[in-house]
Amino acid sequence: MRSKVSENESLKKAFREACSAKGRGETGKEWQSQVMRRIRQIGPLRPATGFWPAFESMVWRLAPVSCLLVIALTLLLMNIDFADSNDYLGTVTVDFEQPTLVELFGLEG
Amino acid sequence: MQKDSLSLSDAEIVRQVLDGDVNAFEFILTRYKVQVLKIVKKHVPSEAAEETIQEAFVRAYESLPTFKGTGDFSQWLSSIAVRTCYDYWRKAYRSREVPLSALTERHAQWMEQVISQGPEEPLDELDSQMEAKEILNWALGKLSAKNRMVLELVYLEGLSMQKTAELLGWSKANVKVRSFRARMKLEKLLRIVKEQGRRA
Repeated sequence: MRSKVSENESLKKAFREACSAKGRGETGKEWQSQVMRRIRQIGPLRPATGFWPAFESMVWRLAPVSCLLVIALTLLLMNIDFADSNDYLGTVTVDFEQPTLVELFGLEG
Repeated sequence: MQKDSLSLSDAEIVRQVLDGDVNAFEFILTRYKVQVLKIVKKHVPSEAAEETIQEAFVRAYESLPTFKGTGDFSQWLSSIAVRTCYDYWRKAYRSREVPLSALTERHAQWMEQVISQGPEEPLDELDSQMEAKEILNWALGKLSAKNRMVLELVYLEGLSMQKTAELLGWSKANVKVRSFRARMKLEKLLRIVKEQGRRA
């Protein structure tokens, strides 16, 4: 099996040294003031406005209103008498069912 | 001002900048310029280094609202610098502005000589660096931007797959696959250089 050229330790070492030598050396100082100039042009930053932070703040803002609404609805439901509406529902279903069954099975006496 | 910048933590400076004090970013610039400079100079040609460093810091500034104060700022900034270098190469490859240097017999002979030597044997440092740099530039110029970055980080800098994935913002699996492919391509290219030396 042929040995890999790229895995040769001496070659690898020479390449790594050449690579780390690239990281050395100076650059001018002008770029720093240019960076700050560009940043001043951009101006102050706005805080991140992702979906979740916005959603979270909205949820907390609406929380007291939601609680009041839940309490009010509970009280309202507790005070409603369902008996009448149940009767009404019963008559409606009977009215609907009878003719249908009669038509389908011919059960009329 | 100098004393203030030294005593402030990264998170405090970031908070100041986010609160609207644009000039506080200069503390970050002063603190991390050497680190960013080192990264950028390793990955892009020297003539493009200054522009890329500027771009990296401007990007860092614009991305500050996304920085979670709990993390390591230095690591976060390094990642932005590496991604800026990657973007430099993506643009360069797209506009076909990658310099393709030509290799000569000299390079092939140098490679033969290095391979035949043991890793402990000293090389003529300056000459060796020059040849190695030229061969590397030639080979890397023939790779894609992705392969190039992975190869530089994993093979040349010796970083772990995990660290490379974090710096590039890729998955570890992606880095592994890329690294393998890039190594195969580099192997092929180096074989071409070696064969040239044998034929000469």
